[in-house]
Amino acid sequence: MTDSAIDGPAMPLSPKPRPPRSIPVGPALALATMAAVLLVWSIASARGWVSPVFLPSPLRVAQAIHRAATEGYANALLWQHVAASLWRVLAALVATMAVGIPVGVLIATSRVGRGILDPLVEFVRPLPPLAYLPLIIIWCGIGEPSKILVIGIAMLAPIVISTAAGLRAAGESQIRAARAFGATRWQVVRYVLLPAALPSILTGIRIALGAGWTTLVAAELVAATRGLGYMIQFAAQFLVTDMVIAGILVISALATISEIGLRLIERRFVPWIGKN
Amino acid sequence: MTAPQRPDAVLSLGDVTLRYGAAAPVLAGVSLAIRRGEFVSLIGRSGSGKTTVLNLAAGFLGPSSGQVLIDGRSVRGPGPERAVIFQDDGLLPWLNVAANVALPLKLAGIGAEARRRVALDLLGSVGLADQGDKPIWQMSGGQRQRIGLARALAARPEFLLMDEPLGALDAMTRERMHGLILKLWRDSHAGALLITHSIEEALFLSTRVVVLTPSPGRITHEEKTLWGRRFLAGEDPRALRSEPEFIAARERLVDAIHAREAA
Repeated sequence: MTDSAIDGPAMPLSPKPRPPRSIPVGPALALATMAAVLLVWSIASARGWVSPVFLPSPLRVAQAIHRAATEGYANALLWQHVAASLWRVLAALVATMAVGIPVGVLIATSRVGRGILDPLVEFVRPLPPLAYLPLIIIWCGIGEPSKILVIGIAMLAPIVISTAAGLRAAGESQIRAARAFGATRWQVVRYVLLPAALPSILTGIRIALGAGWTTLVAAELVAATRGLGYMIQFAAQFLVTDMVIAGILVISALATISEIGLRLIERRFVPWIGKN
Repeated sequence: MTAPQRPDAVLSLGDVTLRYGAAAPVLAGVSLAIRRGEFVSLIGRSGSGKTTVLNLAAGFLGPSSGQVLIDGRSVRGPGPERAVIFQDDGLLPWLNVAANVALPLKLAGIGAEARRRVALDLLGSVGLADQGDKPIWQMSGGQRQRIGLARALAARPEFLLMDEPLGALDAMTRERMHGLILKLWRDSHAGALLITHSIEEALFLSTRVVVLTPSPGRITHEEKTLWGRRFLAGEDPRALRSEPEFIAARERLVDAIHAREAA
């Protein structure tokens, strides 16, 4: 090594840090995509490419949302439709978690439980809601429980499967350590397997909520008088396309909000994901 | 419900053979006794059944024939009088440092306040006094292994079973951990069983080194040592390791481990 190499200018240890961007790339692209869709939509309806009966302009859809919110549509104000749908989806989620998490635990921890429950879950999993809807009406009538049940069945498989998979993902050494300290079978489930499964269960809940919103319209086919699915069907019968699109946008907004909420919960309660 | 403290308890394997099905036995006629206050290291090539011996002592496995006994009583499974430490520390990332240390007490149904007191006390003894409220995933590998040691001692075990606890650590951290393990072993007056692939580590820590030879796994050599005790008495570890007797003992162990290949 020569003197100049020693005395010369020091190599930079790391490239110069980039100045922080005001908006991260991901959200910026997402906003740009949405703006582009809105633009094409506006041009298509302004130029008359598509009949307004099939594709009303964004402005008319916004007016429809405003109308539903202030004057009401299909026997109720928009917030009442939202509240009815939200209640059904959340009630179904709570009920399904109460059933699905224990079922997932049994499938993951007991050979007998797996033998009995796994085929049942696998049977329900691929069924389309519209296929079992008539059966639910015959069995349970046309009341609120039927609607919640239809949504709940659609949510069951994601929650059961994610719980079972999460429990199996617990570290062998964590389980053995707990057993070495004299943990009972139940204590291993309670203090090791279930906490370890939490990230997976949260993912399952996110998938289940998606399935729930998907099933909402089917559930509200059953003699509903309130609800976003009902509002969309009501509007569709009279070819009120702007209200149909308004309903779709509101459902999509609710699903997005619940997804963001779950991600925040994830960050708050399982900060250790991927750090072990 | 911490372990009953019997100062002279003995954990022993008596003529233990272990085989899976019709295959050749993993262990054949292994007899080994660990008294409290003793520090036994188990070394041998991979496949010699070191971990199997520890799993039998811990109660994770049962012998095909022979006995595993504590004070003459047959071992039927894991128990609070035996603590196990693995190379993969098995700490729970959803609990903070103190709650991890207190886990054995929680499993034993001890109240939150008493648990925390014991945990903070133990964290002090492993040099992590003010780290109790930190999340596990902010700890370094060496810190995690210390937390694992503190947790193992929380239930005041009579025996400390360690399966390559320092295997994942760098050399400098290992050396610092040696001193800590020796102090904890002395203060807890536990009987220790250490599995390691480092002959020097075995010699330096133990009161007795046992060599296991594979296929089938059996004990072929024993070496009594005293360097650990001399280190605890205040002697310089580097001077101890360069003593001729230390080097001679190391060579005898190397020969014993590779004896079969030469034959």
